[in-house]
Amino acid sequence: MKSKQRTLLCLILCLPLLSVLLSGCWDDRELNELGITSGSAYDWENNQWKATYQVINPSSGASGMGGGGGGSTSSPPFLTFTVKGRTIMEAIERTNLTSTREMFFSHSRITVIGESLARHGINQLIDMFLRKQDARETVFVFITQGEAGDILDQLMQMTKNQGAGIQLMIEQEAKLMSYYPGTRLYELAMALSSESRSAVLPEILLTGPQTMDETSETGVTDLPSRLALGRLGVIKGDTFVGWLSQKQAFGLSFLTNNIDSATLAFASQPTKSDKLDASFILQNSATTVHPVWDKDHYVMNIEVQGSGVLTELGSVMDLNDRKAIREMEASLEQQVLSLVNDSWTEVKRLGADVTGFAVRIHRSDRKRWKQIEEERSWDRIFQEIEIRPQVSIEIERTGLSNKSFKSVQQE
Amino acid sequence: MFIMKLLLWNGGKIPCLKGSFFFVVNALYYTIISARIRNPIAGDNTGITSRFQQKGVSEMPHNQKKSTRTTKDPAETSVPAPLPLNLSLEANLQEISRRIGDSSDIVIRKFNSESPHSLSLCFIYIDGLVNADAVNQMVLQPIMENGALNGGTLTTGAAFTLIKDHMLPVGGVKEGATLEGLLPLLFEGYTLILFEGLQTAVAADTAGWEKRSINEPTSQGVIRGPKEGFTESLRTGTSMLRRRLKTTDLRIEEYKIGQRTGTGIALVYLKGLASEQVLAELRRRLNAIDTDAILESNYIEEFIQDGGLTPFPTIQNTERPDAMAGGILEGQVGIIIDGTPFALLAPSTFFNFFQSSEDYYQRYDISSFLRLIRYGAFFVSMLLPALYIAVTTFHQEMLPTTLLISLAAQREGVPLPAFAEALLMELTFDVLREAGVRMPRTIGPAISIVGALVLGQAAVQAGLVSAAMVIVVSFTAISNFVIPSLAIANSIRLIRFVMMFIAASLGLFGIMSFLMVLLIHMAGLRSFGVPYLSPVAPMIPRYLKDIFIRVPLWSMDIRPKTNLGKETRRQAPHQKPKPAESANGPSREQQNPQGEGPA
Repeated sequence: MKSKQRTLLCLILCLPLLSVLLSGCWDDRELNELGITSGSAYDWENNQWKATYQVINPSSGASGMGGGGGGSTSSPPFLTFTVKGRTIMEAIERTNLTSTREMFFSHSRITVIGESLARHGINQLIDMFLRKQDARETVFVFITQGEAGDILDQLMQMTKNQGAGIQLMIEQEAKLMSYYPGTRLYELAMALSSESRSAVLPEILLTGPQTMDETSETGVTDLPSRLALGRLGVIKGDTFVGWLSQKQAFGLSFLTNNIDSATLAFASQPTKSDKLDASFILQNSATTVHPVWDKDHYVMNIEVQGSGVLTELGSVMDLNDRKAIREMEASLEQQVLSLVNDSWTEVKRLGADVTGFAVRIHRSDRKRWKQIEEERSWDRIFQEIEIRPQVSIEIERTGLSNKSFKSVQQE
Repeated sequence: MFIMKLLLWNGGKIPCLKGSFFFVVNALYYTIISARIRNPIAGDNTGITSRFQQKGVSEMPHNQKKSTRTTKDPAETSVPAPLPLNLSLEANLQEISRRIGDSSDIVIRKFNSESPHSLSLCFIYIDGLVNADAVNQMVLQPIMENGALNGGTLTTGAAFTLIKDHMLPVGGVKEGATLEGLLPLLFEGYTLILFEGLQTAVAADTAGWEKRSINEPTSQGVIRGPKEGFTESLRTGTSMLRRRLKTTDLRIEEYKIGQRTGTGIALVYLKGLASEQVLAELRRRLNAIDTDAILESNYIEEFIQDGGLTPFPTIQNTERPDAMAGGILEGQVGIIIDGTPFALLAPSTFFNFFQSSEDYYQRYDISSFLRLIRYGAFFVSMLLPALYIAVTTFHQEMLPTTLLISLAAQREGVPLPAFAEALLMELTFDVLREAGVRMPRTIGPAISIVGALVLGQAAVQAGLVSAAMVIVVSFTAISNFVIPSLAIANSIRLIRFVMMFIAASLGLFGIMSFLMVLLIHMAGLRSFGVPYLSPVAPMIPRYLKDIFIRVPLWSMDIRPKTNLGKETRRQAPHQKPKPAESANGPSREQQNPQGEGPA
């Protein structure tokens, strides 16, 4: 009797164990049921979201980073779907009407925002990225002037996974050139929710008139149309307000301490000619910003300190002469100074605090910031800000030769 | 999950029952935890002892019940009452042939003295168990050619004394008065001498049968180290240990277990090092074995090991006398079983199974590295297919994009879900492995060719499995062979399948949960009172010198008491080799290697 009860108890206890088997498999996905999305693009058209998704086509061997092109007749490395919906998720859901696979966003690398959407406002998009479980807020965000979806159609050479390729492009750029810091989605969200309420997004564009979207077209060495990074889009609040040119973007990088390494062209003998005849690689650069309240407006004391190597010299010069070096350094400093001032003028004109001055002021003077917030006078105060940049650049080394080739010739 | 797939082949979504799942995991967890709290793991020696005694007490009635049940069965064995020898030789011979039958290998040689009415003897031995030369020259010849016996001048009693004390030039001479005492001797190769008119008989040790010579161990080879292994002979085994442990402390206790096999079993230990409690428990468990046959050491292992329902072995087996000597020197007790070259070592902790005797025969740095690799291989062998399944069916976001795409590309066109694929390949490997063991050696190469086809490129090209899965299965299989002990390698072979099943239904979460369950289970295991995970749980830092790494021998001063032996000093401390100290500081002589003598 007792053992019978025990058996019964055991059986009852085993029943829920069976449900363990049920519970897990509900969300299992085999790899060949997934549409691995490497990039997405969003436009605003007729008061509707227009979303384009780039889905990796695994059987084309898209994992291979090299060997793209070569006139292969195989299927394209990725496919794109364009869908429309009143909300983003509605659009995403509609991909299931055309796609054989479930969209899988965890491996997305980039998101391109069309200018139309940027003018409409991007907060809903950011919210979706932060909220949805498999959306990655580490995607790099770009802005494009025309239709964002067209960007995703373009095939790239040297890499088959276009999304990953664009990510590599911006990472390389930020590391070696420092014109634009790559903006990840969470950085965008943080910048827009900070005191500045502004952010910058690099522009991505097609250099040629037509889109290269056939695998046979990438089999040439010099593509007529490529993807390239262009200007810097400025977002204020959640809408697009204007562009900064590449030079202004470079200046902004100095203002916001985003220089990793950069090449500067400058005039080696500014007293003799304005010709830009020398290059310099800036290897280290640090910017400090100190806001100071000067009676009725803020003064930003900006100190840029940098050092690097001379890499190119086209004038007659003796590099053993300390004075000549000093002269070149002064020329470099002038160069940077004009970049910074140029950039600041444009930023001020756009009225978007992409320099992060608001954060600085908040941190250094909380009382006054509170007052500014209460009065909602930041936009006015921002316009009254005066910057006082001080640049000091040191040429640490002059490379392998201490005379310019021109001076050797003249001797 | 696979079954669910079959049922819902068209890919309908299965309703989520997350709530019930958490309920079950919690219930499982608390059941196990609460069971362990009642028997907390003892941290010190006294704790271990008390737990040990408790265990002994609780097991006693169980064993008694078992033994009474076996003796009640009349068909099992017929136990005759001890019968004294008859005065009549003829009657004794009749009784013997009634007991053991007229088997063809029993030799009965009668001897009557030349004088008419005096001595009548009978020699009985079993052909094949005795050394024929020894019987002829040491027993038959001296007695048959002896003048006094043939002359008929002696009484039977005097002849008995003469034969027993003076005439048999063999080491083992015994006398017996009952057939129950004498017949087992007969089966051990003794020659019995029965006397007409006497109720006692003499037994002379003339044992000698065909033995396998000492060979290299087949299952536990080493590159550097002794190359001899145990043989099927118990005596050879004990002699090998004697040769290695030339100390008066070495004790060898012999048992006969198995009513029909009468297998000789020897407990080998060092008195003073082995724990008395472990010994007492071992003796008790050995004596409690009531079975008719012991054919291999596993028979003993299953009868005496703790915690019946566990996949983990708690007793080591070894073919190597040097490994056994090493274990005995750490306080373990060796059990050698006649008829098998595999001897047992108890008590054993989890970490004992990862120590190879070669660890001590090569430099400590490489030994430590190899040992870490073994632990890594243990986890790989247990988890790799499960991790592959979990990551590719639930956690695709964890993979680097390039790897994910290349895995996805391989999975294009594979007909089975990842779990079924993995299961298929793992089972294929196990079939191959089993076939490799069974296959006659002459057709051995055939299996490697077929195996390479089934588990290789051909299977991938046929579109049955993905290339990544072949790599996973192969690496898992190879990792399994890294573990020095086949016993624990086999146990994870089974756990691997459970892991795969859980990974396919619950993903990484399931794997972690099951690992925790396993860990709790292992922490609760004991081998003859020694916590299975000691010295890691309970943690005794100073005993960790030989667990994950092996420190230099000169630094292992203390003999750990993890095997419940006493903590004793193994060697003199501070034996790290260094140059001889001299008053003048380092001299030229010391820099010269010839100047350094052994410290």
